[in-house]
Amino acid sequence: MVAAAQHPNIEIMTYAEVEKVNGYIGNFEVTIRKKARCVDEEKCTGCGLCQEKCPSKVDSEFDLGLGKRKAIYTPFPQAVPNVPVIDKENCRKFTKNKCGICQKLCPTGAVDYEQKDEIITDKFGAIVMATGFEQFKWEEVYGEYGYGKYPDVITGLHFERMNNASGPTGGKIVRPSDGKEPKTVVFIKCVGSRDEAKAKSYCSRACCMYTAKHAHQVKEKIADSEAIVFYMDVRTPGKAYDEFYEKTLEDGALYLRGRVSKIYQKGDKLIVKGEDTLVGKPLQVEADLVVLATAMVPAEGYEEIAKKVGVAFDKDGWLQEAHPKLRPVETHTAGVFVAGACQGPKDIPDTVAQASAAASKVAALFTKDELTTSPLISEVDTSKCSGCGMCEPVCPYNAIAMKTISERVPGGQRERQVSEVNAGLCQGCGACTVACRSGAINLKGFTNEQILAEVDAICL
Amino acid sequence: MKRVGVFICHCGSNIASVVDVKSVAEAAKSFPYVAYATDYQFMCSEPGQEVIKKAIKEHNLDRVVVASCTPRLHEPTFQKTLESAGLNPYMLEMANIREQCAWVHSKNKEEATIKAIDLVRTAVAKVTRNEQLFANKIPNNKKALVIGAGIAGMQTAIDIADAGYKVVLVEKEPTIGGNMVKLDKTFPTLDCSA
Repeated sequence: MVAAAQHPNIEIMTYAEVEKVNGYIGNFEVTIRKKARCVDEEKCTGCGLCQEKCPSKVDSEFDLGLGKRKAIYTPFPQAVPNVPVIDKENCRKFTKNKCGICQKLCPTGAVDYEQKDEIITDKFGAIVMATGFEQFKWEEVYGEYGYGKYPDVITGLHFERMNNASGPTGGKIVRPSDGKEPKTVVFIKCVGSRDEAKAKSYCSRACCMYTAKHAHQVKEKIADSEAIVFYMDVRTPGKAYDEFYEKTLEDGALYLRGRVSKIYQKGDKLIVKGEDTLVGKPLQVEADLVVLATAMVPAEGYEEIAKKVGVAFDKDGWLQEAHPKLRPVETHTAGVFVAGACQGPKDIPDTVAQASAAASKVAALFTKDELTTSPLISEVDTSKCSGCGMCEPVCPYNAIAMKTISERVPGGQRERQVSEVNAGLCQGCGACTVACRSGAINLKGFTNEQILAEVDAICL
Repeated sequence: MKRVGVFICHCGSNIASVVDVKSVAEAAKSFPYVAYATDYQFMCSEPGQEVIKKAIKEHNLDRVVVASCTPRLHEPTFQKTLESAGLNPYMLEMANIREQCAWVHSKNKEEATIKAIDLVRTAVAKVTRNEQLFANKIPNNKKALVIGAGIAGMQTAIDIADAGYKVVLVEKEPTIGGNMVKLDKTFPTLDCSA
């Protein structure tokens, strides 16, 4: 994080979203909206006085509701940039036009309630999609685990926050319901993954390993604890991965092969009913805490951003690479690359490897001062074009526009409309050639004559 | 006078175990403008490309049909082969007799061979109407946009920046770090994530 923040060649724009992308490889024109933080990034010193004194407390999204934050806040102490943002929905200044204490106290006058969104337009040669993943919303479908109504049934990410020294519990594993240390912790794997009936058919790839880590952490941090893992399979195909899992077994974690059919509350215990399929017996565990290894799904908003940039995605929303083996970081849009979990579930080592691969593709592209474009694009024969304009709306790349030409006719000059193809924007899809009633548009390399010759050759 | 060369690929046993490649090559010889037709085990390999280059020179070919896999895979390969033999790379057509014949009709070898001959005939009909095409030059803005500043975005940005190019790293949240920064220790080394 610090390496990215301090690099002289990297400009970081946080609290910002891509609004519009035009153009093509080497020449993308991108509009970015920098949302109003209501805190001046130049003036703010990150002293934290505003957050200390802010009277509005709400659940922290960063801690997944395990902790609180203020209405003016930095998500966590090491945030980059270390500049707070005002949550307008919960700030008393914005909701009731009262308070204003942060502005009064700020020693550098950085708080600015009037700050407006900033619109930035810039030109880029390449775009890398690294939009990531989020957790599958298990509460919506897993009724047998309580639809999220039991506070002590949490996800792996909640567990991570609790273990983090700067997290809401200062690194202690506790039950969210009463803050007590759990003695028996049950882990359930494949919640949402490999469950076509309820959720996703794919394997989320990182959960076997992080669950092994979590079980290890329970055994390490809590004396006389029990860590019980319900699993379908243990998948540890990675360097030093299986050894890690074996170590967790040595630590004393108990792995039971079988799915959990029901969780319910009894007193302050959670009763976990399942089956050990290896011995073929139903079993029941009295747990203090249950941790679900939930599936990875594409981060919210993937659809919108993928459409803006022009990247395809599969049935589950993962961005589509150009070829699963040979072009894993390229997309079908030239100059657009993918890195990390937006392309499919993956763990940190794979993500870093893919990110470096995408970067090397971009760096290779940037070694060229000029780019060559495919000549397989549409061409308008203006002598045949009637100017009907049918081609313009069918073009998915906005590459066709109407223009006025002047031509000599008997008795003088005449002006008329014809369509024109922008050679930079045209991707050679051929939609316009089909829409053209007068046959005036030809896709080079796939001309009407060529296509008809093919049809003749196969039919005659 | 147009002179077409037709090259039928075995793709090891991928194509040859289903499609009768010899009879496809034989049939191709009778198509209009075909001056030369042959088959080879791996057309995309270096010796395979040599077969094409040699035939272009010896038989004075001015356009080429390669019947092999999907053009998605090896069209650029064969375009380069043509270029190095002095032909315009767009004087190439491909007939996909692997995915569209051998793989989908593996249970029906005879019909697959007939279809392969049909596909080669259409490709020959098309290539005889090909014209030389030339790529355009466009400027290149050497600045990258990385969307998302989790571990993937940060690593990409750092590597591009280290290569000496400017990067804008855009993140919708108020801080960079993404999911990764929420984590505690990370497997398998158990070092911290930040």
